[in-house]
Amino acid sequence: MNEVKPENSESRRGFLRKLTGWLLGVGVVVGSWPLLRALIPNVHYEPPKRFKVGMPEAFTPGVHFLDEHRLFLFRKDNAFHAVSGVCTHLGCTVKFSPFNQDKEMTVRKFTYLSAGEFHCACHGSRFHDEGTNFAGPAPRPLKWFQLELSPEDGQLVVDVAQEVDRDFRLVV
Amino acid sequence: MSLLPKKGFWDRLLWTWRPQTDREAGEAVVANFLLHWFPNRVTLKSLAVRYSLYLGTVLMVLFGILTLTGVVLMFLYVPSVERAYWGIKDLDYAVSFGWFLRRVHRISAHLMVAAVFLHMFRVFLTGSYKKGSAVGSNRPFNWVLGVVLLILTLFLSFTGYLLPWDQLAFWAITVGTNIAASVPLVGEQIREFLLGGTLVGQNTLIRFYVLHVVFLPLALFGVAIWHMWRIRKDGGLAVVEQLRDENRETAPEPPEKTKTWSVLGIASGASVTVMDPSTIREEDAVPSSPFLTTRLVAVTAVTLIVVMLLSIFVAAPLEQPANPEVTPNPAKAPWYFLGLQELVGYSALIGGVVIPGIVLLGLALIPYLDREQRRIGYWFTDKPGKRWGAIGALWGLLWTVGCLAFGIRFPMRSLFPNIESQLFFDLINPASLLLLSFVILYFLVLKITSSTRTAAIATFCAFIVAFILLTWTGTMLRGPNWEFFWPWQPWPTHPIPF
Repeated sequence: MNEVKPENSESRRGFLRKLTGWLLGVGVVVGSWPLLRALIPNVHYEPPKRFKVGMPEAFTPGVHFLDEHRLFLFRKDNAFHAVSGVCTHLGCTVKFSPFNQDKEMTVRKFTYLSAGEFHCACHGSRFHDEGTNFAGPAPRPLKWFQLELSPEDGQLVVDVAQEVDRDFRLVV
Repeated sequence: MSLLPKKGFWDRLLWTWRPQTDREAGEAVVANFLLHWFPNRVTLKSLAVRYSLYLGTVLMVLFGILTLTGVVLMFLYVPSVERAYWGIKDLDYAVSFGWFLRRVHRISAHLMVAAVFLHMFRVFLTGSYKKGSAVGSNRPFNWVLGVVLLILTLFLSFTGYLLPWDQLAFWAITVGTNIAASVPLVGEQIREFLLGGTLVGQNTLIRFYVLHVVFLPLALFGVAIWHMWRIRKDGGLAVVEQLRDENRETAPEPPEKTKTWSVLGIASGASVTVMDPSTIREEDAVPSSPFLTTRLVAVTAVTLIVVMLLSIFVAAPLEQPANPEVTPNPAKAPWYFLGLQELVGYSALIGGVVIPGIVLLGLALIPYLDREQRRIGYWFTDKPGKRWGAIGALWGLLWTVGCLAFGIRFPMRSLFPNIESQLFFDLINPASLLLLSFVILYFLVLKITSSTRTAAIATFCAFIVAFILLTWTGTMLRGPNWEFFWPWQPWPTHPIPF
């Protein structure tokens, strides 16, 4: 008869138990990875991040809200810039609230003529029209987007994937 | 307690089966599949309405109503961004009783959230999360399961109100997923995983639909079954501990003298008696069937009637179709999230992630922080418990009103116009101040009374008051642009189109 030492069999049993545990653990991780990974899309069927918004002449001097793109287009003389209309707090669309007349303001060492303020409906955040948050819970200034002229037909092109500084102006 | 015999004509007509003896009642519980859910006998104390308020039963009935109406609604609803809204419109105007199904489903969901909170308040205030003396009891763990059920219920209602795809739905999801995005480091990835993209769209709708109709109900059902199975394992409702305490106080009766015929003749001695004080005495309990079962039927009937009546009188609103371009002003979540929305109004990170996280973690840890085992199953435990509960409620009232008033009168960014650091405003704001006041309250009461239970009661009462006040403020006192208005102040109209 083969004699098996008890401590030997114990360690073998312990080893097999550990092995089973590890195999189960690894199996669960490996098995659930495809299930989870399939839910992270590789292709977004979403509107393009770069789009034409119209000829520069079509915009009168002042502030225009492009509702389907949720952004504000500013024109002053021949200078254009685009500010995002998405509140940096929790993503609601801000509203533009114009002053009766423009006033000169200095915000974060940047002096300019201000036409109004942005107000957010959801939690009461407020922004100067150059984007800086000054009241409410918004943690960051509104984004500024790259503006270009289309070489084909001269339309204004907004690129929301590319942010720019608040001294950016496209002069047409 | 003796069983009432079946007597007159009405008894026979209304009740076809009534056991004549305890034994018959017990056998019925064992033999019947539906009845074996219940223990054979149940204590009179745990049948009392003023102890449990039957909120667990109400919740189970509401979940049943929601499942039943939900399955029918699934046949009538298509989770697509083009058709979802018009499907709901059809329910209201084209489907026979569609309006009724929708109202019943919505009202039951609201009641379920309310009942979950009330049930939690009840279990906490009666100290029913404590282990007690029954063998194999693990009530602390059952409390944790309850917290999981609370979270699942909130997620179910959150995913549910996206489905109509109206303005409320769209902006609630926008705000909700952006709260998830404020988690440091991985927030943006979590948001994209929830949305199935970078925008709220078709991918989001189908995700929330599957969560709402399959994943979350199954999870809730499973955990709820576990929750109820544990009640049996824990030796019944915690109020039973009162009986065990009484048994311990009364001196055990001396064993009776007996005479037994043995091989050696008549042997005299004492009979075998069980001295275990945890055994429930015969006279304190009654058979589950019919005493518990009839009460359950009554609670079910009352819940059904209330839901039906409310559904007839309370309309289920449907806002305009989802429009990503225009945020309604004010944009409000349903009432049970408005306390959270009020806090999120100070800081998305603190109000939306840190405070709910700490509150849920704190709730789950209550039975492990407070391990005192005295006077289980009494409302507010004892006299000092009641007094400190009232003090805690007052503390919660003062601090919540104070923090709200401070936040409204002195917005942080106006107080510190020169500070640009977002971290500063995340850390120092009325919401974190309120959280801090609760921590102070807990340790203050703990220091004075050196009782974790009393400290927990004070903090919990403060929490209840804060929850109600914040919810009320968010619901009634916030107007356009989330500005503060008294109930008698009219809201301004906004003439500006954008």
